[in-house]
This record gives sequence, structure tokens and C-alpha cells, in this order.
Amino acid sequence: MAQRSYNGYVVAVLSVGLSTLVLKIIGSHVNAATVSLALLLNVLFIATRWGSLPALLASIVAMLCFNFFFLPPFGTFTIAATDNWIALLAFLITAVTAGQLSGRAKRRAEEAEVGRREIERLYAELRDAFQRASHAEALRQSEKLKSALLDAVTHDLRTPLTSIKASITTLLDEIRGGESPVALDRESRVEMMEVIDEESDRLSRFINGLIELARIEAGELQLRRRWGVVEEIISTALQRAEPITRNHGVDLQVEKELPAVRVDERAVSEVVYTLIDNAAKFSPKGSTIRLIARRAGEELIQMAVEDEGPGIANDLRERVFDKFFRATRDGDVTTRQPSGTGMGLAIAKGIVEAHEGRIWIESGEGGRGTRVVFTLPTGDEDVEAPVHAAARSENYV
Amino acid sequence: MSDQPRILVVDDEPQLTRVLRTGLKSHGYEVRAAADGLAGFEAFNDWHPDLVITDLAMPNVDGLDLCRRLRAISQVPIIVLSAKGEEKTKVEALDLGADDFVTKPFGIDELLARVRASLRRAKTAPMNEATQTTLDSGDFHVDLETREIMVRGKAIHLTPKEFDLLVYFIKHSGKVLTHRTLLAALWGGNYVEQNEYLRVFVGNLRRKIEPDATPRYILTEPWIGYRFDPGQ
Repeated sequence: MAQRSYNGYVVAVLSVGLSTLVLKIIGSHVNAATVSLALLLNVLFIATRWGSLPALLASIVAMLCFNFFFLPPFGTFTIAATDNWIALLAFLITAVTAGQLSGRAKRRAEEAEVGRREIERLYAELRDAFQRASHAEALRQSEKLKSALLDAVTHDLRTPLTSIKASITTLLDEIRGGESPVALDRESRVEMMEVIDEESDRLSRFINGLIELARIEAGELQLRRRWGVVEEIISTALQRAEPITRNHGVDLQVEKELPAVRVDERAVSEVVYTLIDNAAKFSPKGSTIRLIARRAGEELIQMAVEDEGPGIANDLRERVFDKFFRATRDGDVTTRQPSGTGMGLAIAKGIVEAHEGRIWIESGEGGRGTRVVFTLPTGDEDVEAPVHAAARSENYV
Repeated sequence: MSDQPRILVVDDEPQLTRVLRTGLKSHGYEVRAAADGLAGFEAFNDWHPDLVITDLAMPNVDGLDLCRRLRAISQVPIIVLSAKGEEKTKVEALDLGADDFVTKPFGIDELLARVRASLRRAKTAPMNEATQTTLDSGDFHVDLETREIMVRGKAIHLTPKEFDLLVYFIKHSGKVLTHRTLLAALWGGNYVEQNEYLRVFVGNLRRKIEPDATPRYILTEPWIGYRFDPGQ
């Protein structure tokens, strides 16, 4: 810094000296006004580059040079004419004022620059802090989600386990005849075993669901696409759902001459089954479950399963597709309804989306009940001829 | 049949209530089941059971709420069914006055043992406390007037606080007592967070009454509190 300001003074003296020399050489063609302006220019240059103090020095040197070389009598510091005194004084005042003003402007600019840098630094710091905070928030959210999922999973594993353990220890108690031997009647014994049987199935279903979900999430859902008929897919699902739809009416509305679809029939049938299962679970006995299949465009099939149950609130219609979300347990629906594993719709969504289809929920006919709708592209006939595809899958599966 | 103890089971899981109903019935209890806290509370008012077994997480009125409502009107023993991971709720339930807990999944023997202990305690509890001058429980004999204590027939010397602590334990034999409950009962509400206090006193008391290094009277319930077993 000291070196730099020292430079300013040297440059001030040198540049004024140099200008004077040049002006002297071409001296005969310039008048006093031109000389004073040229020297003034020097002062301004020094002021903007090195600040007000070197500019002051430049002003004084310039004034001396102006007097010595350009105001008669030349070569002396004396001045003959009075108006030249005034010119010299005017020059000095102008030079000093201009020098000081531009020096101050330079300082201001420097201060502004420092301020700007400071603001930039603060802004960067703030942005970093904000980013860190939002990153931490995201982490916290994902941790929260994880632990909520873990809670849901452990609950679903533990509940059947608890019933199984309680049943089996009751049976063991009887056989071993502990401190207070009891005799179970045949009916009770059968009931305990039924519970064990049913709850083992429930565990097994839950675990299968978990595996399926994990596969979908890892993008490892292996679709075995082949050309199939919508009616067949629906009837397979209906057959499987027969035991659970006994207490319901089933109304089948399938459009005539639907085009063949290139899908994984087993997977799509699973989707239809899940939707029928939900419809049966969440609608009153004796009500009707409606199955609809129709064209929804040039290469699009739309299927829907509709029930006459209580329906799903608007704000839950997206969330029911989240894994482990159960509207009857998690969604503040206070009616006591049987609840599922919270995986059926998540798996259905995964399967539909793997087929490039879409799935969503609307109200049923007349704004009542639930209608789950999904679409399936019919598939590109040019890729593989129907017969060929079918034959190939037969061979390879 | 009316001398059969009545047990009310409150759980939203139908399969479990099915098993408990059958299991408890076969051991000579009369059983009713309710699917949530609200139904449980109504069944209690209607039927006056001798013991309530309740799940914690339930729709409508949950287990905690049920404990609170029951304690407002009755001293009926309450056993809480809890799961691992529900420790906080479990402690809350015990603080609200639940007597014991069983962690899911559980064997029926464990539940039956807790049921028997709770019913036994409920039967001996209504002793006339005001006129009672001695306490006899298992290996312990306490004279409340002279503040003398005999353990296994041998007199021991306790500081006043240790004496109060032991008497409180004996009076609540078998019941799970949370840190908070003990601190509030012996030191008052300002001390309920001072678990260290309690640990020191329990340590001293154990040194004076326990025959071995492994406690047999004052049992630790990890993260929750203590349970007192007076011995035979």
C-alpha cells in the first residue's frame, strides 16, 4: 500500500513533466489555454488513478510548470501581466478542485466496491446456510418418512405374530399342563388353530407384497408382455375374487370388440383383483361392484372398478397410492372398517405405470362410492406380430 | 358362575381378541371384548369388570385415553399391551395409572401371570389404610408406628427416606412404578425429572435389603422404573 501511494507521487511529477516537455516542443502552435487544459487533464488522470493527494502534488507541479514555461516572461517564476496572474490562480484552483473531486469519487467507488464485495460475501454465506438448512430439512423429512414406514411395517408384522404366539402358547399350555392345567374344548382348539392358519397367511401375503413393492421400486418389475384379451384378464381376476365377492353383486360392463392388448396378463389381472378386493372390503354387503372396460382412444383401453361404499375424500385420493397408507387407519376415517396392508394400490400403481398407463380415483356414479380407473396402451402392433409374440413367450417361459 | 373374575379386553385387532377371549375363558375368567377405547369405556360402565387389558394404539379413544378415563372413576387394575417402539406411550400409560404391561408378541402364560398378580393385588389393596399399623408382605414385616422393618426375620436400619421408599414399594407390590411416579410420590412434583436421586436411594436400599448382588425384591424395569416383589 505504501509502495503504491509513493508510486502515485512519482507518476504525478513525471507525467506533468513529460506533458510540459511535449507541449514545449510543439510550443509554437499552442496557446496558454490549451496548455492549461492539457495539464488539467494530467491532474484528473492522476486523481482517478492514485487519489487526491498525488493529484494535489500534480496540481502544484503543473501550476509551477505552467508559470515557468508558458506564462511570459518564460523561464522565470515571475509574471508580467496581471491577467496572467489571474489565469494562473484560476488554473491552480481548477486543478486542485477537479483533482480533489475526482479523488473523492475514486474513494467513493472504492468504498462502494468494498461494500458490494461484502454484500456478495454475505449473500453467499446466507445462501450456503440456507442450502445446508434445507438439506438438513430434507434429510430429516426422509428420516421421518423412513421411520413412519418402519412403524407401519413392524406393526403389520407384529400384529399377526402376536395372535399366533398367543394362540400357540394357549395350545401348548394345555398339552404341557402347567401350574393350572386347563382343558380346551374342541371348538376352542380349532379356533386357536384357525387363527394361527389365517394369521400365517396374512403374514405371508404381507411379505409377498413387500417383495413385490421392493421389486417395483427397484425398477425390477419383469413384465412378460404378450398379446391378450381384456375379457380374459377380467374373468381371471373375477374367478380369483369369487370368495370375497359372494356378498356383493357384480355388474360387468365390457365394451364389445375391444382390441387386443400387449400386456403382462398376470400382472394386470392382479391389478383388477386388488381393485375388486378393495371394493368388496370397503363397501356394504349386498351392494354392487361394477367392472367397466372400454376404449378410451385410438390405442388406449380404460378399465374401472366401482363400488357403492363411503368413497374416498378428495385430499386422500392421491395418498392412497402411497405405500403403507391406509385411508381407514391413517386418514382419519373414523368408521371401523377392515383395513388392508396398505400395499395393494401402491403395487397396482407400479404395475400400471410399468405398462405406461395411468391410475387414479374418482367418485362413483352420482358422486357416491369409489371408482378406481386405470388406462393401458394397447401396445404397438408393429413391434411384434401378435402370434409371434405369443408363441415366443410360450417357448421361453 | 358369578364368582369368575371378569376381564375386559380392549383391542382393535379382532384376531387377537378372539385368541384372548378363548385363552382367558379356558382359565376360568369371564371375558368381554371391545374394539376401541370408547366401546371399552362403555363396556366397563355397563359390566364392571375386575380387570382391563388394553391395547395402546387404537382408533377413536386410544389406550392412553382409556387409562385416563378409567382412573378418573375407578381403581380397576389395568394391563397395557404394548409393542417395542411404543416405550414412550407405555410409560405414559403407567404414569396415568396403568398397573402393568405386556410386550407384544407375548405368550399366554406371561399374560396370565400378570393377570393373576394384578387381581391378587387388587384384592389385598382395600385394607383399611388409616387404621393399619403394620404391613406384612412376603419377606417383609413393617411396623408403621415405630418405623421398624424386619426382612427375613432380621431387623434393618433405614434412613427416613429409605423407609418411605420401601413402604411405598411394599404397598404397591407387583405393580410397575415409573421413575416419575416414585419421584412424585416421595419427593414431590418438583423432582419428577431427577432420576439420579432415585437411583441413589434405590441403590442404598438394595444394599440393605437384598441378600445377593442380583436384586430379587426391587426389580429394574429398564427405561421405565421398578417393580417390587416382596418374596414368598
